[in-house]
Amino acid sequence: MLSNIRFFVREAWTGLRRSGVMSLIAIGTVMVSLVVFGVFLIVIVNIGSIVGTVSSSIEIAAYIDSNITRAQAASINDELARIRGVSKVKYISREDAWDKFKLEYGKKLNLDEMFDINPLPDTFIVEVSLPELVPEVANSISAVKAVSDVRYSGKLLEQLQAFVSVVRIGGVVLVGLLGTATLFIIMNTIRLTVIARETDISIMKLVGATDSFIKWPFIIEGVIIGLIGSIVVFFMLKLSYDMAVYQILEAMPFLPIVTDPKKLGLIYLIVGAVGTFLGMLGGYISVSKLLKEIEG
Amino acid sequence: MIQLVKVSKVFPNGVEALTDVNLHIGRDEFVFIVGHSGAGKTTLMKLLYRDEFPTSGDVIIDKIKLSELKNYQIPYLRRNMGVIFQDFKLLPRRTVYENVAFALQVTGAQRSLIRRQVSLALELVGLQKRMNSFPADLSGGEQQRVCIARAIVNNPPLLLADEPTGNLDPSTSWEIVNLLDKISKRNTTVIVSTHNKAVVDSMRKRVVALEGGRIVSDQQLGVYDNAK
Repeated sequence: MLSNIRFFVREAWTGLRRSGVMSLIAIGTVMVSLVVFGVFLIVIVNIGSIVGTVSSSIEIAAYIDSNITRAQAASINDELARIRGVSKVKYISREDAWDKFKLEYGKKLNLDEMFDINPLPDTFIVEVSLPELVPEVANSISAVKAVSDVRYSGKLLEQLQAFVSVVRIGGVVLVGLLGTATLFIIMNTIRLTVIARETDISIMKLVGATDSFIKWPFIIEGVIIGLIGSIVVFFMLKLSYDMAVYQILEAMPFLPIVTDPKKLGLIYLIVGAVGTFLGMLGGYISVSKLLKEIEG
Repeated sequence: MIQLVKVSKVFPNGVEALTDVNLHIGRDEFVFIVGHSGAGKTTLMKLLYRDEFPTSGDVIIDKIKLSELKNYQIPYLRRNMGVIFQDFKLLPRRTVYENVAFALQVTGAQRSLIRRQVSLALELVGLQKRMNSFPADLSGGEQQRVCIARAIVNNPPLLLADEPTGNLDPSTSWEIVNLLDKISKRNTTVIVSTHNKAVVDSMRKRVVALEGGRIVSDQQLGVYDNAK
């Protein structure tokens, strides 16, 4: 078995070297596809991260019309905090709100002349743990007796969520299409190297090689092509992303782009695994097809 | 050892390559299959190493009906026979040694065994000194000897040679056939298809003549002309 493996790897390597230009073309094709795939994954993850950050900063405001005492406020606060999905509740009394309002706009507007009394209601600012839960939490809040009105930037949230689901579905479709295209390109390129060795294969068959024995070197060749392409693409993606992150964060430090090495590592790993797997599959399908053709 | 029972082969284009062929070849026999081009010699050989199926009839080798073999069993059939071709079918980018070793490598043999067997086979065909050469650097006769070494490297009980002298000059052809005769004396059944009259006549072996896909004569110690 060990001598077989040595033979397969040596054959694969010899095959790669002998069909030199063709192998380089195959590696180049894998690289192009993987770069597109990798960039796409990175963009999707970043859009997800940005949308997630924006969504999670959405707060629900619950207004109380009637005057309430501190004790009542505390009990409403508790009631709101108990709602499923609520992560934080902050109470802003109407006086505090009015003071803040006056502080912000008092210089421009003569507020005391305009209003005899404080027109602002007591408000509870509710933060939600998951952006998807916002509409549900808002509903539960309006069911609370003392609450007269509930506001949140629903439209923006809905639009964002719609955008995220379009990106997700589109992403899956696009990645699927891209994967299929990559597979076909790899298959065809390896097929060319397989056809170039049709004589070798027919002689192998004549001297009693089993089909699986014939297939292994080509599968390994596909794996090597995929692996070399993946390794080069890994460095290309990593270097260019690191540079892009540096530039973007310098210009827009607030932008929540993905810098977590674990997350990025996973992306690179997926890209590498996809490249290697596609290489392997391409080699396998090509040589299987040719063997069938030889058998007639 | 080998039996063909009412074997016919009609190709999809309608050409009848073999018709109702009955043949029995015993163990360690040396047999010439003779006939003009298109007589059905190559088809007969291909049926023996199961590169072709008969349209009807049975090809039996060592009591195994080849038509009953599953695809995955064919490699094991071929490991028990050596095949020699008119065009040598050597791998151009491999050395003489690698070409011969190839037939053992595909069986998963150990390296030490491969080394020993290849060296013995090359010694038998007299090419030990050329083992690092590439096929392109060899003469036609030498290339055919590499092909023979590859065919016998795993000591098969059956050797099939399809027009082995077709591309060679008379003296080289003579050398090759003598080599095949030498191999047949080492407990190997040898079947040689040829239309080389001089070679057949000089060997005085069993001669089976094909014409238009039918066996027209089968003579022990035959000659080409008598066979026809």
